[in-house]
Amino acid sequence: MLGGGEGKDFAEHLASCESCRNEVSRIGTLWQSLDLLPLEEPGGRVRERFYEMLGAYRQGVASAEPRHAFHWWQMAAAAGLVAAGLGIGYAVRGNMQPPAEVSQLREEVANMRQLVALSLMQQQSASDRLRGVSWAYRAEPSDREVLGALVSAVNHDANVNVRLAAVDALRRFSASPETGRAALQSLSKQTTPMVQVALIDLLVDLKDPEAAPELRRLSGNETANEGVRQRAQWALERLQ
Amino acid sequence: MNRFLIVSMMAVLGALQAPAQNPVQNPAQNPSQMTVAFSNPSQPRKLVVKTMMHRVSIKGYDGKDVIVESSAISDRRRRERNVPPGMHPLNVGGGGIEVAEASNVVTVSAEKMFGGGDIQIQVPVDTSVTVNTVNNGIGVENISGEIDVESVNGGVSITNSSGSVMAHSMNGKVTVALDKVAAGKAMSFSSMNGTIDVTLPADIKANLKMKVDNGDVYTDFDVKVTNDTFDTKESNTGNGVRIRGNRTTYGTINGGGPEMQFTTFNGRILIHKK
Amino acid sequence: MAEVSAGKVARLAVLFERYHRALFRYFVSMNGDREQAEDLVQEVFFRMLRYRTSYDPAQSFTAWMYQIARNAGVDQVRKRGSAQVVDIDTFVDRRAELVSTSPGPEESASRGQDLALLRRAMDQLPEDKREILVLSRFQGMKHEDIAEVLGCEVGTVKVRVYRAIRALEQIYFALEKEKAS
Repeated sequence: MLGGGEGKDFAEHLASCESCRNEVSRIGTLWQSLDLLPLEEPGGRVRERFYEMLGAYRQGVASAEPRHAFHWWQMAAAAGLVAAGLGIGYAVRGNMQPPAEVSQLREEVANMRQLVALSLMQQQSASDRLRGVSWAYRAEPSDREVLGALVSAVNHDANVNVRLAAVDALRRFSASPETGRAALQSLSKQTTPMVQVALIDLLVDLKDPEAAPELRRLSGNETANEGVRQRAQWALERLQ
Repeated sequence: MNRFLIVSMMAVLGALQAPAQNPVQNPAQNPSQMTVAFSNPSQPRKLVVKTMMHRVSIKGYDGKDVIVESSAISDRRRRERNVPPGMHPLNVGGGGIEVAEASNVVTVSAEKMFGGGDIQIQVPVDTSVTVNTVNNGIGVENISGEIDVESVNGGVSITNSSGSVMAHSMNGKVTVALDKVAAGKAMSFSSMNGTIDVTLPADIKANLKMKVDNGDVYTDFDVKVTNDTFDTKESNTGNGVRIRGNRTTYGTINGGGPEMQFTTFNGRILIHKK
Repeated sequence: MAEVSAGKVARLAVLFERYHRALFRYFVSMNGDREQAEDLVQEVFFRMLRYRTSYDPAQSFTAWMYQIARNAGVDQVRKRGSAQVVDIDTFVDRRAELVSTSPGPEESASRGQDLALLRRAMDQLPEDKREILVLSRFQGMKHEDIAEVLGCEVGTVKVRVYRAIRALEQIYFALEKEKAS
C-alpha cells in the first residue's frame, strides 16, 4: 500500500509504537479479509443484452421521425468480423440498404434502450420482435419513439404473442395521455380476444373514463367473444 | 400469391436452379404428395403454412426439400386428369391447396372455407416454420429452426424440437416439449381457453413471465420468484395514475436468461423439467 | 479499445468478456441493487461505443472506463431522484443472499474474519470511502489510474485508501461489539 520511502519511515515508527502496531495488524487482517468476500456474479441476461445492444448499434437505428422511418446502415467491413460466433442476434440482417458513412449514427438516438428496442422490433423474426418489446418495457417513460413503435406493434404485428407483450409494455408509458387514447383506438380495431382482454385490463389500470362508451359497446356486442364481453362488463363496473 | 405451375418430375430435372421453384409431383409414386425445392438450400429456409379447415402436421427430416402430402392433393389431381375437352375444373368443394416457393420461402395455403383433412409436411430440420390455422390444430416435430404457430380452434403441439417457439391457441391446448433451447431466443406461449403445458430442459436458464387469469401455475422447476417491482414501483407518474401490479408473476430459473412468457385466460400453466 | 475506436466495433465484445464482471461488482458494491447494476453495465458499454472516438490510446483504459462508469452512476441517481435513497437495512438485505454462501461466523471465528459482518461494514461505509476501497482492493486498480478516475492527486489516493480502511475497521469492530452484546 505504501511506497518505498514512506514504507521505511513507517516501519521505523511501528517499531516504537505498540498501539500503532496493533492497529496495523488489525487493519492488515481486515485488508486481507476483504479478499475473502465472495464475488458477486451478474445474472444470465447481461451477456445477451450486450450482444443485442451491439447488434442494434451496428445496424444503426436512428429514428428522427416517429414510427417507421428507420434508417439502416451497414458496416460492411465489420461484417467480416461478425462471422466467428460472437453472439446471438448480432449478425447483420439481410434486408438493408447500401452502406453509408460508418460514423453516421445519428445523435438523435436518445439512449441505448431505445436503440435496441426499435431495432429489434423491426426484425423479421417474431422471436426477435418479442425481445424488442421486452427492451421497450425498460425504455424511458417519456420516449415517444418507443411508444409509437409499441402502439404500432399492438395494431399491426402479425404475431399474437408480440401484440400481447406490446400491450403489456404500454404500461410503462401510463403517464402519457397518448397511451390511453391509443389503447382505446386499438380496442375498437382488434379482433383477437386475448389482445382485447389485455387492452381492457390496461384501460382499467389507466383509469381512463373515456373508455366507457367503447366498453359498453363491446359488452353488448353479440358477436364478440364471451370472455371479452364479460371482461368489458367487469371493466365498466371498475371504472364507475 | 397463388401461383401454381405443374412441371416435370424432379428425378428428371435433378437439382433445380431457378430463382423460384415450382412444385413437382410424382403422380406415379404417390398421388397425394408434392415435392418442392428451396431456391438456395444452403441459405436459411422458411416454411409458411396457412389453413382454414385443415389440420397441419410438420416433421423435420433428413432431406433438402419440402414434401407436402394431403388427400386434397390427390383429389385435385384426379379432377385435373378427368377434364372433359374444352372445359376446366371449378374448384368447388374440398381441397384447394396451393403450394409455391419464392426466395427460399415455401408457402402452403389451404384457405377454403369447407372441406378439411390433414396436411403433412416434411421439411429439413433447421427450417423456420410459421403456421396459422383456424379450425384445426398444428403439430410440429423435430424442428430446430424458429417455430411460430397460431391456431384459433385447434390445439398446438410441439415435440422433440430445439429452436425458439412462439405458440398460441385461442381455444385449444398448447403443448410444447423442447430438448434444448437456442441460446438467446425469447419465447412466448399463450392460450385463451386452453392449458399451456411446456417441458423445458432441466439446465435451461430463463426469465419467466407468467400471467394467469382463471387458473394457476404449476412447475417442478426450482423457480426463484422475483416479482418485478416494476409495475408497483412507478407510482409518481405525474397525473396521479397509480399502476398496480397485474396478475403477473416473474421468476428466474438457473440464474436467469432469455425471457419466456406464458399467458392464459381460462387455463393453467404447467412448466415441466425434462 | 484503440481498435474499437478505430472502427472495429465488434472488438467491444472482447472488452465486454474481459471487464463486465468487474464493472458489475463495482456497481453492486456502490448501490447494492443487482438489477440496476446490470443496467448500468449495459449503459457503460453503450457509452464506450458511442464515445469511442474520444478514447485516447495513451490513456489507461480502465481509468477511462471507470470515469464513464461513475458518470453513468451519477446520471442514474439524477434520473431516479429520491427513489435512489434506500435505507440501510434494505440495502443490506439485498446483499444477504450473497452472504449466505460465504463461510458462517463459526467457521471464520478469528478476528476480522467474520465475512457477514465485514460485508455489512462495507455497506455502511460512506459512499466515497467505499468507492475508493472497491477501486483499489476489488478492481485492483493502480493508484495512478484511480487518481485519474477520481480527479485527484496520486498521493491523495493513498491517504484516502488508508482513511477508508480505518473507517471500515471502526465500523467493523462496532458491529462486532454490537453482535456480542
